[in-house]
Amino acid sequence: MNQPLLKIENLRTYFYSRSKHSFVRAVDGVSLEVGQRETVGVVGESGSGKSITAMSVMGLISTGPGVIGGSIHFASARVQKNLLEGLHKCVKVEEQDGRVMAVSKDERGWQKTAERLMRDLRGKEIAMIFQNPRASLNPYITVGEQITEAVRLHTANKSVREARERAVYWLERVKIDSPRLRFNSYPSALSGGMCQRAMIAMALSSEPSLLIADEPTTGLDATIQSKIVDLMEELKSETGISTLLISHDISVISRLSDRVAVMYGGAVVEYGPAQRVLDMGAATKHPYTAALLASVPSAQQIRDKANLQAIEGDVLDTINVPPGCRFYARCNQVTPAVREKCATHQPELQEVAPGHQMRCWRYAVPA
Amino acid sequence: MKKYSQTSSVIEDFSKLPFWQKYAVVDLIYVGYGLLIVALVLLSYILGMFNWLPHDPQQINMDMLMAPPATADYLLGTDFMGRDILSRLIMGIQAYFLPGLLAISISLSGGILLGVVAGYRGGTIETIITYFTNLVDSFPRLVLILLVIAAFKPDIYYIMVVMGITGVPAVATAIANKIRFLAQKNFIEAAIALGLRTRVIIVKHILWYNCRALLIIQATLGMGEAILLETSLSYLGFGVQEPEPSWGNMVQSGANYFLQGNFWPSTAPALAILFTILGFNLLGDGLNNILEDKRDK
Amino acid sequence: MSRTILEVKQMSKHYRRHHGVFSTFNRRADSIAAVDNVSFYLRENETMGLVGESGCGKTTVGRTILRLTKPTSGNVIFDGRDITHLSDSELRPLRKDMQLIFQDLDAGLNPKMRVEDILSEAISVHERVSDAEVKVKSHMLLDQVNLKYSKLTSYPAELSGGEKRRVGIARVLAVGAKLIVADEPTSALDVSIQAQVVNLLRDLQKQLGLSYLFISHDLQVVELMSDKVAVMYLGRIVEMGLTARIADAARHPYTYILWSSLVEKHNREAAPTGKIDRRAAWGVFDFERPASGCRFAPRCPVYEQRGRPAACTDPENEPQLRDVGEGHQVACHFPL
Repeated sequence: MNQPLLKIENLRTYFYSRSKHSFVRAVDGVSLEVGQRETVGVVGESGSGKSITAMSVMGLISTGPGVIGGSIHFASARVQKNLLEGLHKCVKVEEQDGRVMAVSKDERGWQKTAERLMRDLRGKEIAMIFQNPRASLNPYITVGEQITEAVRLHTANKSVREARERAVYWLERVKIDSPRLRFNSYPSALSGGMCQRAMIAMALSSEPSLLIADEPTTGLDATIQSKIVDLMEELKSETGISTLLISHDISVISRLSDRVAVMYGGAVVEYGPAQRVLDMGAATKHPYTAALLASVPSAQQIRDKANLQAIEGDVLDTINVPPGCRFYARCNQVTPAVREKCATHQPELQEVAPGHQMRCWRYAVPA
Repeated sequence: MKKYSQTSSVIEDFSKLPFWQKYAVVDLIYVGYGLLIVALVLLSYILGMFNWLPHDPQQINMDMLMAPPATADYLLGTDFMGRDILSRLIMGIQAYFLPGLLAISISLSGGILLGVVAGYRGGTIETIITYFTNLVDSFPRLVLILLVIAAFKPDIYYIMVVMGITGVPAVATAIANKIRFLAQKNFIEAAIALGLRTRVIIVKHILWYNCRALLIIQATLGMGEAILLETSLSYLGFGVQEPEPSWGNMVQSGANYFLQGNFWPSTAPALAILFTILGFNLLGDGLNNILEDKRDK
Repeated sequence: MSRTILEVKQMSKHYRRHHGVFSTFNRRADSIAAVDNVSFYLRENETMGLVGESGCGKTTVGRTILRLTKPTSGNVIFDGRDITHLSDSELRPLRKDMQLIFQDLDAGLNPKMRVEDILSEAISVHERVSDAEVKVKSHMLLDQVNLKYSKLTSYPAELSGGEKRRVGIARVLAVGAKLIVADEPTSALDVSIQAQVVNLLRDLQKQLGLSYLFISHDLQVVELMSDKVAVMYLGRIVEMGLTARIADAARHPYTYILWSSLVEKHNREAAPTGKIDRRAAWGVFDFERPASGCRFAPRCPVYEQRGRPAACTDPENEPQLRDVGEGHQVACHFPL
């Protein structure tokens, strides 16, 4: 099947700030794909919208207005559907100069529709692991019981005994030490790294087609981070699962991803094969990606104790989205030829090489 | 359908907005109403103090018994003895105003002292203070007051002292918790690290900036409770005695005439109690929401 | 030869616990040695890095040095003066010379105070300053930390992470600190902003001749900024020396593992063939399992490789820091 497992098209998720009387344009027209047996890494800083994108896919956005446009096509062997089907009936958007100024949304109606659409998918076809593993586990139930519950809910193993065996099996597979002992432990007794392993076990035990990992290594100690990345690499090759990996840590993304999407200010600015996008020396590079990679201290810089190459200014606040290119204010590669366009018009995401997309006026292919 | 909209320009400086745009309408209504009530109470207190009343509250007028509101001179009518209800209501405030202030000053000062010491010092002192406040808290207030009345005399000031003391634990706990919260956020440590004097840290940073809202709310709620207490006691006959007017005893004596179909002498003071206490409580509520910055990010 | 501004001698900080999650952590069953017998010195205009995983005690070291808490034993000598046992009022005037940049971005920033109030308070803490002078000094501070003057009227809630960090730094500079303990100054910030803050700290050091104790779990930044590094594990310093030696020629297994996990993250190729196969026995880790003798033994691959030598778990023989040349110290029975 050549259809991608997950195809997000033009997703828009907005929030509203009452104190500022304006929209927070958290995800503003994001398009991404995750193919079969593929890991797509989404990298970006705070405010880039990467986590919100993941939450939108899982239908976990509850504050208003939330998801207001786009489509999320999910096509696995068992299920094919658009997760945002029927959204257009519940939402009415008013635009002014191409920018959304007012949104009317039937929140309760959409909530019902969304629940119906996601019911068979959440946890079963699409599983998600989160940033703070201990906070995502129920502190009052043992780890083993939680995984057992997941197994019974989402797989064919309905009997308690079978489910428990599966749970132990998965605890072993995530290389947690003394799995039978840990089965009976409460999350508070486990360290961060172990909790994260348990979460991964819980997510994978339902044998989903897609795994969404939202900052799985953030908050863990450096040495543990490395081990979790090792684990994910192994599981990836063993199970062949597709993953949407979200992280601000470029090294984690580069180790695990086949394709990478770079997000800034609520939009994807570069998208292509990992080697191409994360290669510092490449000629075709989005200015933001280039600057981001450059601001991480290199071995040479460390040795020379040189000053780092910081990006001027602050990360884009998605309330005050400028009319032109989002990165214009901080971009150090603006040439006189494109300056005017950068300042006034948002570039589109265009293909600049096979499989490699970029959102930049410098690389724009004339229509 | 829920509608969200924004204007073309984003609001840059939130703090420069006029207050009616900054805060939730419901909070502004609460505060507005509360302030109105406070103003009325204050005004009435002054009027009562100087006796600038439309009629003598004690003046019996047998020709005008049970006059309904808006009869001739009597704005709110007269009671079963022909006395002007409005004047009596105004005088009734004397019964609880100063005593109430006494009660809340005791609660607040005692609470601040104990709360600050417990929160700032921590350790054994905190444990001792906590035990002590829990002890005081577990006393049923009304029973204690009745004991005081029985032991001494039904003097509203004695009663309010008791109320003040029993109000200390609430304030102390609130302040101590606030300090604990600030400590958790390295707030106090950062102030110490900078080299600020302890006195400055406590008064300026903790109390003024952070506990302001808390204290105002405790004060308004305390006043509401004081009013309730005084009127209840007077209703039961332990507080202000006839013919001195108190809203409580007005309700009590007017109740006898309900069966005759004369609701007003009892209802008028009851409504006064209701609206006044409501005013103080809403003021506290509204101020809490406004001062504690409960707007979303 | 610049003078020594800070000397820490065998400092320990024990916390007493009333109920034990750590049942047999130490010889004293009811106390935890958050910091155990730590010694080092810091010179003027020097940066010392302090690294380790969470829970190793590095934050406690920072706070204890500044006397935000009193050491259980040992001495802290700041600028030639022993401050270990000074009372709070004696300490207060000294506080202007030694400051802490907190890990939490909001620490020290009262949400109800504008930036100008926060700065003016810091400026006038230790000396009387006129309003005009305060204004001048505030502007100068903002220049030093690269913030626009318009930020003076902002409240902390209106500032971004990087801006908050910079106001925190300005506040610390305002009192005139000479020694700055920076506790995870870049941790809560985005990568692109981290670079800004690192550059800023370095420029300030050059301009003002500051000394830093740079506490972080981000090894790259520590390596970049520090002249020398101390590696802590469960309350003790296990290795200490010039940065280059620690990073490239680590002698303690723990240090080696820390630094190699860095390299790992960057290479998509196989693990570097080093002296230890890092992936080998990690043992029961992540938690308290108390060690008698060397604290690292339960997790130490060298311990496994050498067939679990008794020396490592001998409670009488905890490894002490030993000089292995050029100021490089290691606490290990079998250094690499």
